[in-house]
Amino acid sequence: MTALVRARGLVRAFGGRRAVDGVDLDLLPGRRLSVVGPNGAGKSTLLRMLATLLRPDTGTIELVGHDIGARAQRARPHLGYLGHDPLVYLDLTAWQNLELFGDLYGVPALRERIPEALSRVGLLPRAHDPVRTFSRGMAQRMGIARLTLHEPTLLVLDEPYTGLDAQGARLLDDLLAGFSTGGRGAVMVTHELTRAVELADEVMVMRAGRSVGRMETAGLGAAAFADRYRELTS
Amino acid sequence: MIGLFLVAPEDADQGVIQRIFYFHVPIALVSLVAFGVACVAGILYLRGGREHWDEVGVVSVGLGMLFSVLTVITGSIWAKASWGTWWVWDDPRLVTYLVVILLYAAYFVLRSSAEDNRRARYSAVYGIFAFAGVPLSFYSVRVAQSFVHPVVFTRGGADMPGSMLIWFVISLVAMFGVFATLLQLELLQRRADRAMRDLKTRLEALMAGA
Amino acid sequence: MNPAMARQLRALLTKDLRLELRTRETAVAMGLFALVGMVIFQFAIGTRTDDATPFAGGIIWATLALTAVLGVGRTWVAEREQRVLDALLAAPVPRLVLMSARAVALVLYLLAVQVVVVPLAMIFFVREGSFADLGLTVVVCLLADVAIALVGALLASMSVFSRARELLLPVLLLPSLIPVVIAAAGATHAVLGPAHALDEYWRYCVFLAVYAVVFGLVAFATFDHILDD
Repeated sequence: MTALVRARGLVRAFGGRRAVDGVDLDLLPGRRLSVVGPNGAGKSTLLRMLATLLRPDTGTIELVGHDIGARAQRARPHLGYLGHDPLVYLDLTAWQNLELFGDLYGVPALRERIPEALSRVGLLPRAHDPVRTFSRGMAQRMGIARLTLHEPTLLVLDEPYTGLDAQGARLLDDLLAGFSTGGRGAVMVTHELTRAVELADEVMVMRAGRSVGRMETAGLGAAAFADRYRELTS
Repeated sequence: MIGLFLVAPEDADQGVIQRIFYFHVPIALVSLVAFGVACVAGILYLRGGREHWDEVGVVSVGLGMLFSVLTVITGSIWAKASWGTWWVWDDPRLVTYLVVILLYAAYFVLRSSAEDNRRARYSAVYGIFAFAGVPLSFYSVRVAQSFVHPVVFTRGGADMPGSMLIWFVISLVAMFGVFATLLQLELLQRRADRAMRDLKTRLEALMAGA
Repeated sequence: MNPAMARQLRALLTKDLRLELRTRETAVAMGLFALVGMVIFQFAIGTRTDDATPFAGGIIWATLALTAVLGVGRTWVAEREQRVLDALLAAPVPRLVLMSARAVALVLYLLAVQVVVVPLAMIFFVREGSFADLGLTVVVCLLADVAIALVGALLASMSVFSRARELLLPVLLLPSLIPVVIAAAGATHAVLGPAHALDEYWRYCVFLAVYAVVFGLVAFATFDHILDD
């Protein structure tokens, strides 16, 4: 069974300060990992490396069996990345955005897929309005539509609940629940400890660029985890 | 070097000012070599990512700039002596060096405004880019043909008496020596700086730990 | 370039076109800037002579080079302002396609400006212009645009990740464009000027082509190191 993520000895420094300082990470298919930690712990840097947006200074990453030092391009079609921002063009309509990203990912039968994707996130009535006219929550739902259009195997989510409305949060909850099947998986950075425990199979706690604790969420209550978290990060 | 002033033969037409030729041409050639070194260092940096090559690149471009400016200054003095004006726009070599100086001045602007983690890579790319621009600038300026500049080297070989040639070669070798020495010195100093910085951070970490 | 890449390139260009058609800010600003530029050059030089024909090539290309700075400066701006760059870089798009899309878009901007500006310049500055001359000038425009676009796409992609990018870009771009201005102005002058020297014209055109090829190769060899972090 090919691991979805296999990262070894990741280090990335910015101007002499090591944001990520020697992290190993494995993710098997069917597993969802959430990453928590205080501000500046290096969570986003780690995630950007997993999304092929940042190269590690040292260390190796394999995503879905492809070493991204040599062939990041092979891994990218399998990834779905969502950050704080929806990562769509505000001056294009919802439809045009999906058309663009569908073409970039080489999605087949795009004309049928776009309305499906839009109705899934409840934006079909606004398909031909520019995203700029959307509310923050709607724009973020647009981000979810972009994220899932090419049916990624591995979700890489950086604080995806930021700015999401109730409807969007439910959508994302369901999406994450579905990623425990079909050989898929997800890595999510979040500051919401409850969601970190409830929506993932495993939690990793980061502090000062290092992983200071990993635990299974099965049988771990949110309250018990909150205590452990305080212990590990203080 | 002093020999250049005292012993080297003067040109019958041009008199004492001709001695500047012994500086002007070697300096000009060395500046091109310096930019070439920067280009090669850029390629090596992009290949391997070693900080050493970034330093070689930036020091070479700095020295290349220094020598280009000297080229333009000596050329301008020569122009004043030979043609009575400090600057002639239809002299392709002088104008090319001006363009090259502008081209490489941008290197330092780019370097100072690039993000920390991209600085070395962008410098390397621009070092390669600008070196490709040197012959193009030279040719584009030269397309407007000019006969103002004395053409000393012709296709048949060096068009000057043997004793002049010897002094010219000596000067050329000396200038390369100056370039190599300055490059080494500057690199040594940077290495020392880096070692010092590392030591400082390690000391600070030690103090914080204690 | 395989079919998948062609589809990506088309999608990126459609996106640029749609963004531009929504606002029309870049093309309009560039066109107006070019007109104002020509008028300024005319008042600075042309008024001292009754016939501006000898200066036409120079005025046109000095103006267009400065105008190009505006167009190149808009490269990646929508991505930065609307914060989509990460989505493009995380998508499986070869960097060659991203850069080519930028360069093609730049050529289109420059052509859109030249369609208006060059005929006007011929009316303003040239005494005895003919349609054949205009045709020859179009060739110069195409060659120079490709050259400017390649250099512009490369340098703009570096300045977008830098501080004070509005200041950096002109300082970075204009020195590299000096050879283009020399050659394009020379070629235009050879056609429109009093001498009508066609052999000179072709020599300049060949130079523009060589320039485009050289910097195309440099861009091809280095852009991987620019876009990815």
